[in-house]
Amino acid sequence: MKNIIETKKLCKTFSNGGIQQHVLKNIDLEIYEGDFTIIMGASGAGKSTLLYSLSGMDKPTLGSVSFDGTEITKMNTDELAVFRRSHCGFVFQQVYLVDSMSVMDNIMAAGLLVYKDKGTLVKKAGDLLKAVNIDETLWNKFPTQISGGEAQRVGIARSLINDPKLVFADEPTGALNSQTGKAVLDTLTSFNEKGQSIVMVTHDISSARRGNRILYVKDGEIAGECNLGKYVTGDKERHQKLNDFLATMGW
Amino acid sequence: MNKTLLLTKSNLRKNRGTSVGLFLLMLITTCLIGIALLIFMDCYPSVSREAVRLNGGDGYLSISGNIEGFTDEKIKELLEEDTDRYYTYHDLKLSNHPVKFGNGEVVISLDISDDSAFTRPMNTFEVITEDTSITENYIYLPYQFNTAGGFNTGDVFEIENSGKKYSYTVRGFTNVVYGGCNNTALFALVVDNGSYKELWDETHEEYENINIIYDLKDGVKNGEFRIRSFNELLKVNPFAVTEGYDIDGVISNRTFIGLIIAVSFLVATSLIIAAVAMMLANSISNYIKENMKTLGALKAIGYTGKDIKASLVIWFLIIAALASIIGIVLSYIVMPVFASIIIGQMGVPYSITFNLLATLIPVGFVVLFTLLVTVICANKVSKIQPIVALREGVESHNFRKNHVALSKSSLSVNASLAMKTFFGNMKQNVITFFVLGFMVFCCVISLLLYENFSRHPKLDILATEICAGVVTSDQETREEVLEYLENRSDIKNIREIINMNVYYDDQESLFCYIVKDLSKMNNTTLCYKGRLPEYDNEIAVSGSFARAYGFEIGDEIKIDYGDNAFNYLITGFIQTANNQGREAIFSYKAADHIMDIDSIPGWYWFDLTNESEDVDENIDEVNRILEECEDKYGIHIVSTMNFYKMIGGAMTTFQGISLMMLVVMCSISVVVIALILFLLIKSLVYHKRKDYGIYKALGYTSGSLMLQTAMSFMPSVIASAIVFSVVSYNVANPYISLFMRSFGLMKCDFAIPVPGVVAIGAGLTVVSFFLALLQTRRIRKIEAYNMLVAE
Repeated sequence: MKNIIETKKLCKTFSNGGIQQHVLKNIDLEIYEGDFTIIMGASGAGKSTLLYSLSGMDKPTLGSVSFDGTEITKMNTDELAVFRRSHCGFVFQQVYLVDSMSVMDNIMAAGLLVYKDKGTLVKKAGDLLKAVNIDETLWNKFPTQISGGEAQRVGIARSLINDPKLVFADEPTGALNSQTGKAVLDTLTSFNEKGQSIVMVTHDISSARRGNRILYVKDGEIAGECNLGKYVTGDKERHQKLNDFLATMGW
Repeated sequence: MNKTLLLTKSNLRKNRGTSVGLFLLMLITTCLIGIALLIFMDCYPSVSREAVRLNGGDGYLSISGNIEGFTDEKIKELLEEDTDRYYTYHDLKLSNHPVKFGNGEVVISLDISDDSAFTRPMNTFEVITEDTSITENYIYLPYQFNTAGGFNTGDVFEIENSGKKYSYTVRGFTNVVYGGCNNTALFALVVDNGSYKELWDETHEEYENINIIYDLKDGVKNGEFRIRSFNELLKVNPFAVTEGYDIDGVISNRTFIGLIIAVSFLVATSLIIAAVAMMLANSISNYIKENMKTLGALKAIGYTGKDIKASLVIWFLIIAALASIIGIVLSYIVMPVFASIIIGQMGVPYSITFNLLATLIPVGFVVLFTLLVTVICANKVSKIQPIVALREGVESHNFRKNHVALSKSSLSVNASLAMKTFFGNMKQNVITFFVLGFMVFCCVISLLLYENFSRHPKLDILATEICAGVVTSDQETREEVLEYLENRSDIKNIREIINMNVYYDDQESLFCYIVKDLSKMNNTTLCYKGRLPEYDNEIAVSGSFARAYGFEIGDEIKIDYGDNAFNYLITGFIQTANNQGREAIFSYKAADHIMDIDSIPGWYWFDLTNESEDVDENIDEVNRILEECEDKYGIHIVSTMNFYKMIGGAMTTFQGISLMMLVVMCSISVVVIALILFLLIKSLVYHKRKDYGIYKALGYTSGSLMLQTAMSFMPSVIASAIVFSVVSYNVANPYISLFMRSFGLMKCDFAIPVPGVVAIGAGLTVVSFFLALLQTRRIRKIEAYNMLVAE
């Protein structure tokens, strides 16, 4: 299987008042195309730091991250921004839609960075919004005028507008109730089933079940890995396998 | 430390950028008000102070030409009834003498004394600077020769009489009440006793002059006294030439152009103050909005609205107090630069002194204004509930219009997002619009002053009628000289205009232009209301005189000259900044009612047939014409005047001050725009920091976000530059008129060069864009990751 991301000796250290905190320690990791990779771990284990280091949003202290064969750790901030716009999609726990823009404009603002043909982009944004079940009547609403679940699905549509190689999702259901959270996960799963590679950070087991590959981060290191295979609704054996893995990790 | 001071200290520490921005705005405001007030309350009053210190009395009369009959007893008889005291002295007076001054020359009367001038009990001369190594054949010149006339000690000063040149070495410069400034039509000189004796022996028969300095008794009006005295003096000897000034007239003449500039400075300053005040209010209001969450947290833990309000008031008052104190100190430091240019025009030595009012008013204004704005804005704090404040003031969803929908916009992505930001920040845009507009207006006013006082001097401010030269012939050759001039091909539009003093009902002296053919006048804007007189019973008087005595167009006015009087019909109002705004104009035929116009020497004003763009060429051409006239008619030519040369000399003092105004105003405008953009953009970036983080996460570069933000200010900047350029072009003259009325300029028509206005509008637009771009660099510091983890 082809890898999209490869890290070598990835380290991230925060320094606060002279005290150094090693959040990521010498991580060697590969993320594969088509996978729905889940990063799990306890609070403060470094899972979000790992996600943002992989995506070029944050710069590691040491080591390297290669994305599709290109080492992104050598890029400056502007080069990383250009890299992100065409290779990565992001779904955040707090959604982070721009409040002063309509639903459609939030997607267009990301798409216009890559697409030159506005007509094609408008059509694609519409298709994506429909695909994430956002009714057309909501397209011209502002983020503060729609529900949290709807906003998160708009966030997913935005993350996919530029056909990214990889979508990074940081606890996308963390701020949602179980029902709307499930709808968001269903959306992500459906895109994964269509071939979209996803890396998702979560500490929620039911969310983690959606992935086919689970990475467990503990004290800044990849403490373990579990391959669950393709997600099938109600696959109890798969669920048990995940529970057992997490138990061995001390979850 | 109590809890309020603790909060204040925290505010100061946490909001350094805002504090520094506001500090600088307040500092500029205080400094500008301070300078303007010091000019009015300390610098200009120095002319009056010096007049009192040098015993200038209430006025001055001079008798020259023919002084027969003016014995000490006769003078005593004439003056003792109206005066408390007077002092007379004899010296020499050369009328209408050309003198090199600044960039040209002035044709002016020279009053020449020996060194007894330094010890007179009244109108005492005082040495300001001298070179005592120069011991013979020396001259002391009025201080203005040094400050504006381009003379230094050791230079040679020449006086010419009947073809004989008298050369003197300049030993020093004097402070003198009468004859200290080119605007008073008299320069008072002191030569060494030996040189004076030589000059006296050779010229006193022609030029002996009696000066009378007087102090009037209480209740005696200066104008009436002078008119009465002139009449009495002429009764003693009708061939005597009498002149006189009251002290207020001298002070006014020494200060009026400088005051015009100073008033314009204050006008421009007031607009800057308005802009700064607007920004102050906005910044304080923004601070409260930006810190709503902190304020909410403080309320939640038990701080009362009063505690928080007090901390805000103390915080802004500390900034205001510090800024205003440093600002006023700065105004005292900078003032000598302004003063050095202003005293060039006044010709009075001036050292800045501490002026309590000029110090307290700017400080008080800034501190009280800040207090007022803070208290009003901080009232919001008392009203907000902690939970609302913790939600950063959001009480409900904000339903807004989606301006510039990206899916429909035909603009580029950066332009579209800039427009979105523009529509989302209307309050900031309104402030930008007005602040930039005020600055455009200030710069246009400065441009107007520079254009009309320096680059292309508006001569009809200084002279009621403009021409190339004037020839005055004696009565004997009057017709012959006119014919000679009319036959010359190098001059045109020869017009006969006589200047005489006439009197209004023994109350007021009016400097009168008696014109043979009014249609030949060059100054077509002279009459700003009504029309110039046409018939022999008509007169036009200056607007400020009419206003002072309640005259309207159509009223009759009694004009006296000697024993004659006539009632004229007022047909119009003229404007003039000369002669304290006391001027009138009528025709030869009209003048015939009160004087024998044919017995008066011929005054011929002419223009050049081919006027050159090069002033020096014009000066040479007029010199040549005047010399040919003098060669042909010799002693029959009473006097000549090269107008180009005279204007060069007269304008010298104003050029520096108007150029300074332009430079200062443009510089201040750029600084104010920079500070205001700093505060606005700082606030904008703070409010949109989350959005910028999201944009960066999506792949927007810092450069494109900076460009978008700077561009978002451009619609209001461009609109302001266009609107205020047009408005300034149309409004500057009426606006200036409001302030110039007191100087006699009732309807200003100063030239405003369109390319200059366009350059100001375009220049400030470009400068604003780059300043905005510079201020947006703080966007670089926003990192998507930090924004995400901070949340």
